[in-house]
Order: sequence, then C-alpha cells, then structure tokens
Amino acid sequence: MSSAEEAFHSMQRLIQVLWPSFIVAGLAEVAFFTLIDPQELYLLGEPVHFSTLATYSIGFFGFWAICITSSWATCFFQRRASEINGLPDGGEVSGDRQSGCA
Amino acid sequence: MNDPAPAPAGKVIPVVPVVEDALYEVRKRIYPRSVSGAFATWRWILVWFTQILFYGLCWLDWNGRQAVLFHLVERKFYIFGWVFWPQDVFFLALILIISAFALFLFTAVAGRLWCGYACPQTVYTEIFMWIEEKIEGDRSKRMKLDEQPMSARKFRIKATKQFAWIAFALWTGFTFVGYFTPVRELTQSIASWSLGPWETFWIFFYGFATYGNAGYMREQVCKYMCPYARFQGVMFDPDTLIITYDAERGDPRGARNKKLDYKSAGLGDCVDCGICVQVCPTGIDIRKGLQYECIGCAACIDACDQVMDKMNYPKGLIRYSTEHAIKEHWGKKEIIAHLMRPRTFIYTGILGIVVAGFIYGLTTRIPLRVDVIRDRASLAREVEDGKIENVFRLQVMNTAEETRRFALGVSGLSGIELGSDAVVEVPAATTKGVVVRVLAPGDAGKTGSNPIFFEIKAINHEEVFVREKTTFLLP
Repeated sequence: MSSAEEAFHSMQRLIQVLWPSFIVAGLAEVAFFTLIDPQELYLLGEPVHFSTLATYSIGFFGFWAICITSSWATCFFQRRASEINGLPDGGEVSGDRQSGCA
Repeated sequence: MNDPAPAPAGKVIPVVPVVEDALYEVRKRIYPRSVSGAFATWRWILVWFTQILFYGLCWLDWNGRQAVLFHLVERKFYIFGWVFWPQDVFFLALILIISAFALFLFTAVAGRLWCGYACPQTVYTEIFMWIEEKIEGDRSKRMKLDEQPMSARKFRIKATKQFAWIAFALWTGFTFVGYFTPVRELTQSIASWSLGPWETFWIFFYGFATYGNAGYMREQVCKYMCPYARFQGVMFDPDTLIITYDAERGDPRGARNKKLDYKSAGLGDCVDCGICVQVCPTGIDIRKGLQYECIGCAACIDACDQVMDKMNYPKGLIRYSTEHAIKEHWGKKEIIAHLMRPRTFIYTGILGIVVAGFIYGLTTRIPLRVDVIRDRASLAREVEDGKIENVFRLQVMNTAEETRRFALGVSGLSGIELGSDAVVEVPAATTKGVVVRVLAPGDAGKTGSNPIFFEIKAINHEEVFVREKTTFLLP
C-alpha cells in the first residue's frame, strides 16, 4: 500500500468508527431524554445543576463516546493474525473481513 | 439554471476523470453539468418548497407563540394547535412508523423519490452547486479553474464561493437551532451578543455539517453514509418505477453522421455523447443498468431527452420505467395496472391503519393528565369524628393552551369526601402539584388498602375528564 492509500484507509476507518456511532448516539439520546427529565438526574449523589441544554449536549457526547468505543473495538477485533504478529501480508486479499478495517 | 451546451452530434465528449483527495476514499471528483428539463424543474420546485418551509416555518406564530417549536428546555413540542409532552411519546413513535411505511410505499412504487427530490442532502447539494455555478461558472470553467495554479483571480473566486457557502450554512444552522430554542429569543441574544454557549456550539455544528456535506461530501454521503441507500433495494421489485436506459433501443451505441441512416449502419439510438454521465450527481453511467448509487434524480432523463430532440429521435431513451415494462414493451397503461400488487397493498394497508390510529388518538386526546401519588410521610391518620385521613399529591397537567379550572372529586367508598379545596386552577400548558386530603369513615371499607377514584373535570369543558385509580388506607 502506498502512503496515500494508507492515509485514505485511515480516513475511511475513522469515518467507519465516527459515523455509525453518531447515528446510534442520536437515537440513544432521543430515547433516553424522552423518558428521563434532565432536571431529575443525579451526578455523584448531587442533583445535576447544569442547564437543560448543557445536559442534553453532554448526554449526546457521552453517548457518542460510548458508541465510538464500541465501533472502534469492532474494528480492532477484526485484525487478522498476520497483522497482530506483524508479519508481511504477502499482498493477499483477506477473505474474512472488510479490507481497510483494522 | 443554464442550458446545457448543445450536444454535438457525431462527436464524443470525453469524460475525463479527475482524481482528488476525498474525505472518504480515492474518488474521481465529480463536476456535475447543470441540466434543465421537466424533472429539473420538479427538483427546483421541491427545493423551494422544502426550503421555504424550513427557513420560514420557525418564524410563524400561533396562539401567541412559535407555531412549530420543539422546546427542549421546557420539554414540550408545539406543533400549531397541539402541545406534546414527554408522556405523548406514543405519538412520536406513530409518526416514525408512518414515515417509515410512507417511505417503503413510495420506494416500492417509484424508487428513490425521497432521495432525488426531497432529501436534505440532495436539496442542499443542489443549492450549494447552484452557488458554485453562479460564482465559478459552468462545468468546464470549474474544471479549468481547479487545474490552474493559485492566482489572485482564482483566490478571489474561491474566497467568494467560500463566503457564500459559509454564510448560507450558518443561516441554516441558526434556523435549525431555532426549532429547538424559540427563534425570536435566539435572534435577540445574537443581536445583544449574549448567545448561550450551547446554542452557539450547535449553530456552528449544524452549519459545519451542512457546509461539509453539501459542499464537499455530496454524493459520498449517499454512497457510503446513508443507511437508506443500503437497504432501499429490498423494497424494489420488477414493477417498481426506476430510471432506466432502454438498451434494446439504444444499443449498439456510437457516434454517427446525422445525414446517414444510422439504423442501416447497425447503430441504436444512443449517440454515446456521455452527457447522461456528466449530469449525474453520483457520477455513474445509467446505461450500465440499475446501480445502488443512483439516487433517482432523473437528471440523466432530462439531459438525454434534449439530445434526442436535437437528433430528432423520440424522447425517452432514458426514462422512468419498470424492469417488466422494458422487457415486455409495456406502455403507461400496463405500468399503472401493475401498481396494484401485493407489496403495495401491504404497505398501503399498514400505512392506512397506523394513520387512522394516529388521527383517532390525536382527535380523542384529552388535554388533561393527572398523576396521583400517595403521600409517603403519613399513610393514614385518624382525625375528628373518627374519620380516617389519607393525603395525596396530584400532578395536574393542563395540556390545553388556556388557563383552566378543574373540579376534583373522589369516589369508591361510602362517605368518602375531600378534606381540602375542590377546585384547582392550572395555567395554560403547565403542570401544577396540589396536595389533597381525603376523608372517609373508619368503617367504610376493609382494613388495609381500598380502591378509590379521583375524578378531575375541567369546569366549562365537560369532555375534559379524567378518572384515576389509587388506594385509600384504612387502619
């Protein structure tokens, strides 16, 4: 792989991690805050004193962070043995996973 | 939009791919040529319609407040005469189901109508490309400009475009936030330079998303990021209207001299001018058949029809048709007859039932909700005349947009009565908590919990009535 191709693959991987997690975080945000009033939340035993809008926003980024971790872990566990061992790939096309998702 | 350049007969316009560094993958940069025609007009009508709705609706007033406002801080959704509370999440779920089945139905009937005409990604890309064309010029001028090294002229043109794009994107972000925070308050706080940090953040966030998606990502959003694009194929069947190239009529393709009889030369109707590829916003060649990248915008139909006109061939070499119709040479009549098929019946049936349920729920919705909570501090205590008192806390939610007075009543045990004020006034669209003492004779029921009912009725509005069950404790 040329360095340009590698850069594209990292960008592709980055979006594969960031984008699905963004969608799922949005759904989680709607579901969570429809059911739970941000004014009724407790943070470390104290009532949350942020503004409602701040709570929603922090909540969204919290969900997004969790989902990013999950998407990243999925990509991480898709690495093949040869990649983990650091052995040369021999230019084989992998049959068991999507290329570029390492 | 400008007319496309006349299609030169007998000359092949080379489609030169330009490789650029894209965000998502190595892609050929697509410079869509602008197109005019019946479908382009429809696309523009839809752009105007959706955008007047989007940019205008937040300024419309209703009952002395913003007509459409998803007020996140108050946790109330105002949609014209309706006020939805978090407890009305059921209606939100129904709206989502209705949207999904409407999308399934439209897709089964006529493919990606949503993508081609109404999706914000398409609409904003259309607007951003229009701005680009006004500032940078038509397709060939844009391609030339991008090839040139940076100069004062190029910088001026590019800077003007960026300024227009960013201004438009920020206005879009502002409007978007204006649906979640009252737009007039938002305007005032911008004017007085006191916009809250989170409002500011979301205006820029949404503005940046618009700028990036419509200015740069464009068709890549549809090809790689849109979930619908990935599964829309399952709603298709051989009777779905799709944008199709009539290969039987068009092939073999080739350049020809207009004066000669091309049929005797063994050629089909396709002059292979490549304009259908140039106008395609996703950069595909529709002549290769149905592809998942096709967003159904019909730009290639408009473009090809113009070429056919110039050649004096009948229109419709590329047209809306179905797989069956192309194969069986069906006309409009047969295509319409095949609209009725199990798939469309099932989608319509489910859609009809859910819409009916939604309308029924909305029209019979009582603008009053009451939560009864037992006072946990005192379970039951004896008061004067040997009566037993229980204390309840009533959360009275008046979801109507006027102040209402409610009469409270209690029933379920003989001799049960209210020991406190029986009328409560609740301002428009608010919740009021009232503490209510209820008295009953000690021998009115069995020891332990006895079911009783609170009846809450709006004074002067007989139909606004709620009956809530709770329990009365007797020692």
